[in-house]
Amino acid sequence: MPLTARIISSLVIDSLCDRAQEDNIAVAGLYCDFLSQQEQTTTHIMGALLKQLVSRGGIPDHLREAFEKGKKEFGGRAPRLANLMGMLKIVIASLPRVFICLDALDECLPKHLPELLGSLRDITRESPRTRIFLTGRPHAREDVQRYFLNAVVIPISPNPDDIRNYVEMRLDRDSEPEAMSNDLRVDIVRVILEKISNV
Amino acid sequence: MSNEDAQIMRWLSPLEPNNRHQGVSSERFDGVGDWLLETTEFREWRCGEDGDDKPILFCSGNPGVGKTYLR
Repeated sequence: MPLTARIISSLVIDSLCDRAQEDNIAVAGLYCDFLSQQEQTTTHIMGALLKQLVSRGGIPDHLREAFEKGKKEFGGRAPRLANLMGMLKIVIASLPRVFICLDALDECLPKHLPELLGSLRDITRESPRTRIFLTGRPHAREDVQRYFLNAVVIPISPNPDDIRNYVEMRLDRDSEPEAMSNDLRVDIVRVILEKISNV
Repeated sequence: MSNEDAQIMRWLSPLEPNNRHQGVSSERFDGVGDWLLETTEFREWRCGEDGDDKPILFCSGNPGVGKTYLR
């Protein structure tokens, strides 16, 4: 599991949400997961983003109407991707600014990825103010750049400060702190950081 | 939320990404990853002006980068 990428996604989502009211922005996001591949279709993902975007301001009328209409047809019909994209574009246009975060793109089924990236591209074309944050393994970069030539890429590598903070936090929480001298503590941090810089 | 609203939400998508976010967030330690928020790339993406042609930020990472090395 790309743990750091996932952690980074949660950090980005939280940092955006922390300032959502002051900055007047709306945030939607989703973590793709190998274990949920079958149900994480583009249609369901777009529906989930839409759901998050309407949760604060209340469900708009056009969405209620689409639901009522779907309910009457064929004994209750689920929305199709094209319907959801239409609704999503209307909702995004009604909001000041939208941030979309999708974690671990490469964990969705390869057959879903082109449709997913294509849908995101549609959104940015329709609403150029929308910002999109993506994570994935390095090989997913080519897929992303096929759809977004100007995508800015930040590689995530083991960061010594993050590792030091983590190790020190674990040492602070040690259940038998008296068994560890200060020298030993310094050694533990030093050795771990050395080992990691050799990875 | 009214019963009808809940039905509409379920109709839009069976996925509930909020639950997953809370799980991942609770595993995060304070300060981890803060360096990313300070990068120029992130700040520009975050604050980009309307009509900016760089709306996409992609963070690439290998599986196991980070905490999993520390097992």
